[in-house]
Amino acid sequence: VSAFAELARTAAALEPERVLGALDATLAAWRAPGSPWRARLAKEHGVYSPEGIERGVALGLAGWTRPALAALRAREIGPGAVAPRVTAVWLAGSVPTAAFGALLLPLVAGSAVYAKPASADPLSPRLFAESLDAVDPLVASALALGDDLRSLARADAVVAHGSDETVAAIRARVPVHARFVAHGHKLSAAVVGRDADPAPAADALALDAALYDGRGCLSPAYAFVEDVPAGRAGAFARELARALERIAGELPRGPLAPAEQVALQSLRAASAARGDDVLASKGSLAWTVIACAAGGPLPAPGALRALPVVPFADAAELAARLGALQPHLSTLGGAGFSGRGDLLEHLARDAGASRVCALGHMQLPPIDWHHDGYAPLGSLLRWIDAGA
Amino acid sequence: VPLTREELDGRVLAMIASGAQAPPDDARFEALALELFRFQHAANAPYRRICAVLGVEPEAVRRWRDIPAVPTGAFKEARLACFPPERTIRVFRSSGSTTERRSELHLDTLALYEASVRATFGAWLVPEGRRLRFLVLAPSEDDAPDSSLSSMFAIAMRAFGTAESRFLVRGDGWDPGAAIDALRGAGAPALVAGTAFAFVHLLDAMDERRARIVLPAGTRVMETGGFKGRSRELSRDELHAALARAFGIPRTSVVNQYGMSELGSQFYEATLVEGGGSATKRVPPWVRTRAVDPETLDDVAPGQVGALVHYDLANTGSVLAVMTSDAGRLVAGGFEVLGRLTGAEARGCSIAADALLETP
Repeated sequence: VSAFAELARTAAALEPERVLGALDATLAAWRAPGSPWRARLAKEHGVYSPEGIERGVALGLAGWTRPALAALRAREIGPGAVAPRVTAVWLAGSVPTAAFGALLLPLVAGSAVYAKPASADPLSPRLFAESLDAVDPLVASALALGDDLRSLARADAVVAHGSDETVAAIRARVPVHARFVAHGHKLSAAVVGRDADPAPAADALALDAALYDGRGCLSPAYAFVEDVPAGRAGAFARELARALERIAGELPRGPLAPAEQVALQSLRAASAARGDDVLASKGSLAWTVIACAAGGPLPAPGALRALPVVPFADAAELAARLGALQPHLSTLGGAGFSGRGDLLEHLARDAGASRVCALGHMQLPPIDWHHDGYAPLGSLLRWIDAGA
Repeated sequence: VPLTREELDGRVLAMIASGAQAPPDDARFEALALELFRFQHAANAPYRRICAVLGVEPEAVRRWRDIPAVPTGAFKEARLACFPPERTIRVFRSSGSTTERRSELHLDTLALYEASVRATFGAWLVPEGRRLRFLVLAPSEDDAPDSSLSSMFAIAMRAFGTAESRFLVRGDGWDPGAAIDALRGAGAPALVAGTAFAFVHLLDAMDERRARIVLPAGTRVMETGGFKGRSRELSRDELHAALARAFGIPRTSVVNQYGMSELGSQFYEATLVEGGGSATKRVPPWVRTRAVDPETLDDVAPGQVGALVHYDLANTGSVLAVMTSDAGRLVAGGFEVLGRLTGAEARGCSIAADALLETP
């Protein structure tokens, strides 16, 4: 109890500018060419290849700067805003930049953070905390890592990541009046319109699929491709296969667990048996593209660099395909919809997605973007209104 | 000249007729496996497409080890049969709820399945050849026509059971009290068979009722399958020890069987016949088993753990080579099963990755 109170007192005493400065310097240290922090994470992370970590973190943190954080504060925090004394953050998954964002946003809001690292990635939060400590130990002392479930009942705000079942279990431990921000199970999708130049679109999509090996909720689980004229989706699938083969050399996939290897073998065999055209790396499970027949049932979502290419004939069919992914759709990465206004935004709204971006940027959301529709800072705050 | 299906069936039946403990004849197995593979490649379009994805042309397959194996997950997605649907006389489905996809093995004859069951069940559970009273903790074929397990028990019961043999589970459930009464009334050496989780429920029911059962000498138990979340879980050793204790029989009289709905043949421990506590699953002469690296599909080093792949000649009407999601290693006389392959826990935050892991 006293440690929790001390955590809150530390954060309350920190000037926002000092926090922003410390975070800015920390993030700069992670972005810097030859960053020892990045190198250490790349070497020790274990889930992804060192090249994948190096590239993912460098790209992911590119815009996470002091001006961006300050603008976010200015946008979402104003007179009357009260930050949580302590925000409990329950992490999930293994994407380092997702963990970094989850840890730093409550600090930007003015809250202390008590974070439980994900079992799949205990390293990223620990190294982030160490790097913050190296920059400013006082600011770093407002961030604690642990796994004490009692913190869920004591924190003013709780940010929960995980499967829907996990998030529900966490929610059950949180008092009714605490802020609760739920980041349950999600997946994302790429949509490729008829105007897309296939080769660069495939290269961009291959980057989205390769970063974090399709394990993240921002990873494309489907590529919906406008099949106009007919056969275009199949041709795009072949371009994507080429692009995935190329990027496998640059960004090798991380190790797969045996159960994942069998799952991929099974996916390839089952898709081929069903009649889909399966394009796959030879002698390895590095990548798989499943070119689905037009108008067929929606296949299971792809992951681990296995991606179904699903043709669609028009916007109505695409809307139906995306609608089937509710309520789990997070991000739409698109290309080739020029001249069709804000079609993708409309599709995202109708399908419950919260982000729309260009292909090649699905894994790289700016720090000020809403996460699952939540305001990054505003979702944590309490407001006081005073008047006559 | 390629062999016809009838000729293939005849040759496999002849091999099975030599018995489950006949010395393995590698040359005979290889020749028949290659003939069967070529037939299945020609007759089974989904299998042909799987071979194409693996880059395997039939003429390049020269050893049984090179025959492409089909992961069990593919049996959920396609009808992997070498005959038209109208010739299907039985479909075996994997266990699971009615809403989830289940593996399907389509059969146009039960002759090979029955022959294989009789040979292996008889060799490892009824070596004396005398009939026993079967008490089966599973539903009958009538109650579960798509269960390969129920079919297997029915075949074994017809071959080795007395007229008093019975299934103790009905389609709508079972009454543990009645099962306990049936066991108490066994009267003569019995063969008590069932799934692992059913036995756990029985043990729990016996505990609750403080029931003691001492089954006649010569009684044996066959248990199979996992727990699948349907009971508390025990290790295989714990379960066997508990069953031996509960029924007053030697530990060696409890025999584990390993099988799956996608295969026509099953594997047994030899504890009843040979004594000892070996968990080695015996491979009959018409089957071969490999432990492979699940990424490269190459054999793992001798004694190392890999994904188990079975080459079962009794699967003439579907595919003979089946890749499982079970971890195991080859040992003298057979193989050991070490459970499911590891790594099924989520290592990402995407629901897609979780869904993928549910495929096999």
